Amino acid sequence: MMDSDRSTTKVAPFEAARSLHKPPDAARHEWAALVEAVACRQDRDCFLRIYDHFSPRVRRYLLGLGGNAGLAEELAQEALLRVWQRAGQYDAERSSLSTWLFRIARNLYIDRVRKEPVWSQTQEYLEEMDLDGPADAGERPGTESLSEEANIHRAIAQLPAVQARLIRMSYFEAKSHQAIASELAMPLGTVKSHLRRAFLTLQNELRCER
Amino acid sequence: MRTMNPRHHLGEATLLSYAAGALPTALAVVAAAHLSVCSACRRQLRLAERIGGGLVDMQRGELPAQQAREAILARLDEPPAPAGASMFPPTTVADDPDALPLPLQPYFGLSLRTLRWRWLAPGVHCIRARVSEGNLLMLRIAPGKSMPVHGHNGSELTQILRGAYDDQLGHFAAGDMADLDDGIEHQPVTAAGVACICVAGLDATLRFDGWFARALQPLFGL
Repeated sequence: MMDSDRSTTKVAPFEAARSLHKPPDAARHEWAALVEAVACRQDRDCFLRIYDHFSPRVRRYLLGLGGNAGLAEELAQEALLRVWQRAGQYDAERSSLSTWLFRIARNLYIDRVRKEPVWSQTQEYLEEMDLDGPADAGERPGTESLSEEANIHRAIAQLPAVQARLIRMSYFEAKSHQAIASELAMPLGTVKSHLRRAFLTLQNELRCER
Repeated sequence: MRTMNPRHHLGEATLLSYAAGALPTALAVVAAAHLSVCSACRRQLRLAERIGGGLVDMQRGELPAQQAREAILARLDEPPAPAGASMFPPTTVADDPDALPLPLQPYFGLSLRTLRWRWLAPGVHCIRARVSEGNLLMLRIAPGKSMPVHGHNGSELTQILRGAYDDQLGHFAAGDMADLDDGIEHQPVTAAGVACICVAGLDATLRFDGWFARALQPLFGL
């Protein structure tokens, strides 16, 4: 309890600093430093700062996928527990903490609902292939530049309404192209072309800071 | 796994849905087979996953319930759950030219040499794998064979594993991905020399006329 209370009081200034006084790069470095503290020292205060920020966000993401509050809560806890247990595997050069957590939560969800445990193992295998790739950071598929988080937030917010809707239906409801086409009475080809345009727009934002 | 330089790749909409976890399983397995030999598509996949990270980050924040915080603190001393038994066969010979891409191995086995083909039509053999969503098929089509013109009622992903074919969209060889949807009608003609072996994932039925539709009936329940 003492640890929890102490951490709660620390969260507020950290959040304020993140949103008001520091550029996104600084926030990105701070998250990475917190994960490193978890990995190196099993620092519970640092873990709770990560937990307090991300567990509600991961839970909301999972809630959209399944619509089941109990499952979303259970898998969000599991995802954050993975951060504690696998902090040493996190590579801040390769992805932001939110992207890492997105992958963890998505994989947990797919394994659970599809009951095909090869999904997670396949993703881990593909990630390992990237690690074995060229040493030049610019060529590594996983390398993520530091300024991207702010850019992607802005770019998502600025997408045309229909593209934003299809992006949300894909990522937050895990709806296939066919399911989106049926629900919106939209030709399959139109669904794909909207998603393609949205991806190209967001890609440009992600790449322009390289 | 061997590195390839495919010339035909996963479409952006397909990559995005793969990253979102929204591709039906049969299509996701075939997409993963391509990703395992294509670093360009893996780069794209990482970008698509960053969109997911951005969306998670943009969710409204609130302090978690005290009960949930206490529950997670109580679990921090747990030993990590043991990794589940691997669905992948334990021995994969990396340099075996007949080895199947690893993402296909849980569904079809280790090697092209050990596949148990079923005769489907003259010059066409097939294996259907069991998946939770969609249809997942391995096809072997004799060299120099012209397939019937067909369209698609939904999406189809086809990854070429061996041999090659040509159609209205171009030349497709080992490592290439044909990412098709209902706007495309095509007539693949396999290259001379070796049989074309490919793996296809579909989320709906194909549209064939005539003899091939009849041949496929037991596979798809057309």
